[in-house]
Amino acid sequence: MPEDKIESTERIIELLKSRDIKPQHEWGWQVAVYLYLAGIGSGSLAIGIFMDWLGYIPDDLRPMILWGPILVAIGALFLVLKLGIKKRFLNTILNPWTSWLSRGFYILSACIVVGMIILIISILPYLGINTGSWSALLLALDVIGFILALATAIYTGILIQSVKYVAFWNTSFLPTLFTISALSTGTIAVMMSALAYNIVTASSGYPGQLMTSLTVIEQILIVLEAIVLVLYMFTRYRAEEYGRYSVRLLLWGNLKYIFWLGIIISGFFFPVILEGIYSRLHDQHFLLFLAGGFLLLGGFFIRYAVVYAGIKDQHPMQQLLENQRYLNALKQE
Amino acid sequence: MNGKVLVIDHEKCTGCRECELACSVYHTGSSNPSRSRIKVIKWEWEGLYLPMTCQNCEKPFCVEVCPTKACHVDQGKNRVVIDADKCIGCKTCILACPFGAPVFDTVERITVKCDYCDGDPQCVRFCEVEAIKYVDVSQVSNDKQYAAAEKLANLIPGAAKE
Repeated sequence: MPEDKIESTERIIELLKSRDIKPQHEWGWQVAVYLYLAGIGSGSLAIGIFMDWLGYIPDDLRPMILWGPILVAIGALFLVLKLGIKKRFLNTILNPWTSWLSRGFYILSACIVVGMIILIISILPYLGINTGSWSALLLALDVIGFILALATAIYTGILIQSVKYVAFWNTSFLPTLFTISALSTGTIAVMMSALAYNIVTASSGYPGQLMTSLTVIEQILIVLEAIVLVLYMFTRYRAEEYGRYSVRLLLWGNLKYIFWLGIIISGFFFPVILEGIYSRLHDQHFLLFLAGGFLLLGGFFIRYAVVYAGIKDQHPMQQLLENQRYLNALKQE
Repeated sequence: MNGKVLVIDHEKCTGCRECELACSVYHTGSSNPSRSRIKVIKWEWEGLYLPMTCQNCEKPFCVEVCPTKACHVDQGKNRVVIDADKCIGCKTCILACPFGAPVFDTVERITVKCDYCDGDPQCVRFCEVEAIKYVDVSQVSNDKQYAAAEKLANLIPGAAKE
């Protein structure tokens, strides 16, 4: 057969096969929610502590933006919900040497515990307890909390990456994407809660310095996230056969609405436009909440899409036989 | 791995799924193929059927990703086993396995896999066409070499008879 014919036949086979591909269902939406809540919780904790170090956060605002560990804990509950036997969830501590699910238990637990201590200490002044003399302890806790929050954000991607046989997941672009997304959704969540607190209490002035810095950080993170997403999908498309099918599943397969509407439109397009307008019209607060809502939705759909698009070859012989099938079909045509 | 293994001859398999039923009845007491440790992959358009089960890999991905050490290599038996008392049903091993061998048992809510029925595989007993055999690893390569030699002999006129 001439070379150009072989090439075009192979392309037709690829196209035909992409129609049959279905998303994986072993790990469902609960895992996506877990990854999302752990991401947004850890991201907001890291950004909140960082902004506090810069001195942009008034003391009364601190408890309002350090709620991240609560979300991480709720996210972990979703993972427990997904288990076959939920009451055995403590067994996950048994294999930290090779299993990332097991390591995650330790990382998340530490993040939740330290984060909750930071949150509780930030509430103490409201209860009349003076924490002014605890600055060394607070700083140490903040440093540990910041490191653990970053570790949790990175871990959510590594957990998925550790399932090596799934081509779409087996890349370091995935932890990078999830970490940037965690920081991005965390940043917008911090902005929204700071603004909501400001509107509800109407006691302190508008935290302009905090909001301006966070807006800049957010815009940088969105651009970075878009670049990493493109690189991730491009490298997966070129990596292995089933990596290519996963990308197709997202671009024009069963998950196309999740990808185009959920990630591109909701996660990137609307937030960029709305935040751009908001940076010029500071009194139109609803714009920020709208942008935030879209961005948070986009953050969820990134996890959802990555989890469901993680398909794999069921059996090495399957590929060979399916190729034969389509070649036979083409010959008959 | 050393010891005995299951060997499949896909040319003999008729896709009757008797092995799935035998496996399910033996392990669960119910004739429910979805709970079977062996799965017959079918390519109806090719007329090809392939019973698939755990390959007991040398470096099993399932063991690596298991958070509870339920999925582990039993050195004594030379195979990968899942401890039903430790498994939490997280399904990570199912995703990690290149052969899709561990199966999630929807009744017991844990992941299960072929354990060779403790040395007397029921799929082998009930396979009427003998498409599944339980043989020693060393014999597998011998059989393959023998089959290849036979095919070669058939290609040379007159050689097959001698």
